[in-house]
Amino acid sequence: MSRTRFICIMILFATFFTPLTYADQLADIKKKGEIIVGVLGTDEPNSFIDPATRKIVGYDVDLSEAIAKKLGVKLTLKQLSVAARIPELEQGRIDLLAASLTHNKEREAKIDFSLTTLVTGQRVMVRKDSGITSVPQLAGKKVLTVKGGTQEPNIRKAVPTADVITFETSLQAFIGLQQGKGMGYVNDEVSLFNNYGKLGDAQKDYIILPQNLSIEPLALGIRKGEAGLKKEVDDALRVLEKSGEAEKLFFKWYGPNSKVKLDKRTFKIDSDKVDG
Amino acid sequence: MSFNLDLLLAGTYHDWLIQGLRLSLGMAGITLLLALPLAVMVAMFRLSPVRALQWLGAMFVESIRNVPLLAHMLFWYFGAPELLPDGIKRWLYAGNIEVLSAIAALTLYTAAYMAEDIRSGIRSISNGQFEAGRSLGFSFLATMRLIILPQALRVTIPPLVSQTLNLWKNTSIATVIGVGELMYQAAKVESTAFRSAEAFAFATICYLSVSLILTGLGLLYRHRFPVRTA
Repeated sequence: MSRTRFICIMILFATFFTPLTYADQLADIKKKGEIIVGVLGTDEPNSFIDPATRKIVGYDVDLSEAIAKKLGVKLTLKQLSVAARIPELEQGRIDLLAASLTHNKEREAKIDFSLTTLVTGQRVMVRKDSGITSVPQLAGKKVLTVKGGTQEPNIRKAVPTADVITFETSLQAFIGLQQGKGMGYVNDEVSLFNNYGKLGDAQKDYIILPQNLSIEPLALGIRKGEAGLKKEVDDALRVLEKSGEAEKLFFKWYGPNSKVKLDKRTFKIDSDKVDG
Repeated sequence: MSFNLDLLLAGTYHDWLIQGLRLSLGMAGITLLLALPLAVMVAMFRLSPVRALQWLGAMFVESIRNVPLLAHMLFWYFGAPELLPDGIKRWLYAGNIEVLSAIAALTLYTAAYMAEDIRSGIRSISNGQFEAGRSLGFSFLATMRLIILPQALRVTIPPLVSQTLNLWKNTSIATVIGVGELMYQAAKVESTAFRSAEAFAFATICYLSVSLILTGLGLLYRHRFPVRTA
């Protein structure tokens, strides 16, 4: 290999591995006229594919739409896996994360968060015939969940001896539970209730254990140090809260007429602080 | 966050990664032991004078080789075991169904490729040798065993080493069905400790060094037992 060729290849490598940096992401979004929001698309009702329209819909999507509207730009959704969320945001391939993202202290070292948009518990669903009625009984048992989220560390903390098996999507973990490949299935409460709602006649064979593994404040993820974008996003969320639109969205996706069937909204979109 | 080497040398994350490496190596080893005889059998089928066996061998190779390994994994984990009777299913699911499904998928996938390498190695030996064997009164199998296969082995080993290399890397696909192999453990370290650079550096070095050892063995063999030309 000639010296010049070697140098050319090195430069190529350097450009690939240097993260793209923008002077100001907000200005960049406005210039492009487009905001790219990362969503899961596999976590009903936060973001999922509507079988009728083949489009990604959900609470996360509605919030993203409201923010795009406030910024006066076009919304483009990009589907991500749970594990890829934070890396994609850090590397600037998406502008914003609206992907059932838990806001916790550990993650604050990597990215910034908007105001908390949803507060949900994390719980375990089991088959009734397993005889399990409380979380500690999962000791030594196979427990299924999604890879790359807070579910795995949380169940490990609650039941250190559980044999935790993770999959790319929460739906695969849920199928695993239905097939009997594990004793429990861990997910955010809203997603669990939704899964339960979809079981139909089979509901009688499953129970959701009453204990919360943790309380998860979900928020939108913003790249670190993008204060301009964070302010716009938070302002848009505050407007939604004040106008009552946020409450309407909550009940649209999680209310008594949805599969989740929550009858109360116990939080307000007004804070971006979480307990450590 | 700077690169923390200590994380890889001791402690919980080190243990997780080593556990993953062990399982990956184990899966590759068991798969190789199962896939080789299967591959020889399929190659024999394809070369046999019986039409039905030829057809069966070809079906095996083409139906497996033309579907991605990822799809094989998902099928052997989520699909195939569901067809079993309830009792066997329950017994299987209580054990390590993840690893069993992965080994089933890897074995069939690897065997399909190896069968083709073995077949082409055998075909590289001139037909005259086979005919000479048969006319001296050796049976089909005896001709194969005593005359063709020993010569074909020299041609076949290098591509088989390269298939073993593929098998070693392919074990990483098992991560999608929850097998706690090397990539799975690296992802676990990443999501627990946000130590992506360390975790994936460890995994990369493991894959690379095992692969290089295999390549080295292949070269050594080729040097020691070069292909004889007639």
